[in-house]
Amino acid sequence: MTLKRIAMILLAALFLLALGGVAAQDEIVIDFYFPSATANDAEGIFQRYADMFEEENPGISINPVFTGSYTDTRNTILTELQGGGAGPDVAVMLSIDLYSFAEEGYIIPAQGFIDAMDDGAAWAADFFPALMANGVDEAGNVWSIPFQRSTPILYYNADLLAEAGYDAAPVNNAELVEIAQALTTDERHGLLVPVAGGFPIWMYQSFAIAHGRNIVGDDPTEVYFNTPEAVAAVEFARSLGTDLGVGPAGGAAWGDTPVAFLAGQAAMIYHTTGNLTRILRDADFEVGVGFLPSGPAGEDGTGYGAPTGGGNLYLFDDGSKSQAELDASWNWAMFLASPEIQADWGATTGYIASSASAWETEPLASLAQEHAQYGVARDQLQFAGKEFSSYATITIQGIINGTLESILTGEAEDAQAAMDAAQAQIDGILAEYR
Amino acid sequence: MRSGSRSQTIVTRLQPYLLIGPTLFLVLLFNVLPAARTVSDSLHKPARGLNAAGKPAEFVGLGNFQDIFDAGHYMGGRFLRSLRNTLVFAIATVGVGLPLGLLLALLLQHKQPLLGLWRFAVFYPSLLPLIGAASIWSFIFSDSIGLANAVLRSFGHPGLNWLGDRNLVLMSVIIVNIWKQSGYFMIFFLAGLQNIPRDIYEAASLDGAGALEQFAALTLPLLRRTLLFVVVISFTFAFQTVEQLQALGEGGPADSANLLLYLIFQNISERRNWGYVNAMTIVLIALVLVFTVSNFFLFEREESD
Repeated sequence: MTLKRIAMILLAALFLLALGGVAAQDEIVIDFYFPSATANDAEGIFQRYADMFEEENPGISINPVFTGSYTDTRNTILTELQGGGAGPDVAVMLSIDLYSFAEEGYIIPAQGFIDAMDDGAAWAADFFPALMANGVDEAGNVWSIPFQRSTPILYYNADLLAEAGYDAAPVNNAELVEIAQALTTDERHGLLVPVAGGFPIWMYQSFAIAHGRNIVGDDPTEVYFNTPEAVAAVEFARSLGTDLGVGPAGGAAWGDTPVAFLAGQAAMIYHTTGNLTRILRDADFEVGVGFLPSGPAGEDGTGYGAPTGGGNLYLFDDGSKSQAELDASWNWAMFLASPEIQADWGATTGYIASSASAWETEPLASLAQEHAQYGVARDQLQFAGKEFSSYATITIQGIINGTLESILTGEAEDAQAAMDAAQAQIDGILAEYR
Repeated sequence: MRSGSRSQTIVTRLQPYLLIGPTLFLVLLFNVLPAARTVSDSLHKPARGLNAAGKPAEFVGLGNFQDIFDAGHYMGGRFLRSLRNTLVFAIATVGVGLPLGLLLALLLQHKQPLLGLWRFAVFYPSLLPLIGAASIWSFIFSDSIGLANAVLRSFGHPGLNWLGDRNLVLMSVIIVNIWKQSGYFMIFFLAGLQNIPRDIYEAASLDGAGALEQFAALTLPLLRRTLLFVVVISFTFAFQTVEQLQALGEGGPADSANLLLYLIFQNISERRNWGYVNAMTIVLIALVLVFTVSNFFLFEREESD
């Protein structure tokens, strides 16, 4: 009797397990890789979004995986895929990683899904054009969808500026230098620009655009690193730490910059909007936010400007995935890009919500009304330029970063000569794609 | 009977091969095969341009090596700088860290008050995970908020840009490495010192030998085996340095603190550079071999003299 009963129970258990196995097979699991470049609780936030999505979409389960910095994320995914692994289904990667992955054939364009929508064109047009620029190839196909996007803005300690008699943010480089010099003391930097620490190209692009010409064109084979504007921009950035003496020679490090600003050791900083919420929360002084100042005043073609930055949503497929799996990936990406999530994400982190309608959605709508600072980055987008991206992006970005660092630290005194040499190396690489 | 003994001989002959078989298989799979692949890849240029993923690599002979030793090439400039840094780094960390470890061992070998605390204080950096230790130091070295500059400023010095000044950053990384490793080396020296019989020191004292003479004539020669071991592992460690750089400025600015293995790591993600990455790996392995073998011969010869 007992033996028989045990056997029955075992059989029942096996049956249930088998049922569970069938159910698990029917469920589509989306592996979602995401990086974080700021001090926000990205893991907690994404788990919350995953829970919301799973509730609305039975049969799809999201597996969020935190993969470190943007660079770590890119390298993790490349290593997995190059080694024959499965990799993610959807990932947030830098918007400039497009060609690195498209060249290898690891990602698929979002264009096909957009075309299949009833109102696809209107849906795509809701995103800010400046944020779409890096996700579109030269033929106009949309590959990736803007998600955690940012742009550098000027943060200033309004209390300090007021003490020195300035009641508004500087609007051009001449004013920027004047205010920075007035606020520089032995204990305080007037202006910190994080061009030190391995990644000067982003902040440098701000100066290049402000001086009138971006270093990258629309086509992924166009790089303009030795133009007069490009040289003037790096010389201006270098002078902040040398002749003008408003910051450390060679520039500040990325992570130190907001910390120094919050500690009152820097009166103004250039930094990403991705830190806006944290800075507003932690500052014990009035924080002002402004457009990055324009370049040399009064010359044609110069003005405000900043590169965009941050991450987009990419869809992965090596040709082995079923339509149902791809649809699930696309639904998750659309969910994250929806106005509701973008409004929540923008309010929680300070990243620029990527679509116009997100700004009319709560909680962002009232937050932007309450704190004018949130709207500044959005309004600056109309002057924003494409972030640097080309074929062989990683290698060419490495050449540009190395050249900028050697100029900024004073190792290469002749900026023009160093940039000519770099441009020759870059042209040599891009020749293979032209 | 005869056939029985013959089969027994075959078994006896096969036995050692059977015994080392599993190990041999693993060594082949995980050491020899990847090494052979590295050599082969270092002689090829991966396909480049659009849709390169499916195309075969092109055999270029020593072309990758020519490129990495060409200062005008985009990879060559970085490689040569990192190679020089690696040599400076290895010689500096071993040249300072090893004598420091020995000195600490000499100071902390005898009974004294709070001995355990002193030993722990010196040894604990090597217990910390490298990346954590380096992160702590990146705060210490921070330009505006760091401890190092706070100390300097309290003496009226304006402070140094430890991780931003191209002339300083390699030294900053070396300092962290020495801090991290000298306690570790101390442990080996302490063990070596324990093995030296005390009575020979007593005999030397009776003969009128001072502390310095005893150190030069007794301690150092008797520690030779330990010394060889520590020299070899410390050079190997130095060539393997990666983690610190991740937290301490990623080898920058402009590669002024970059080291070979980290440079290899930095360039591994883009297919076009795989030939260079493999060529650099071979140079690195050759370097480690040269150092290890020459150290070995140096000490062995002294031993046989």
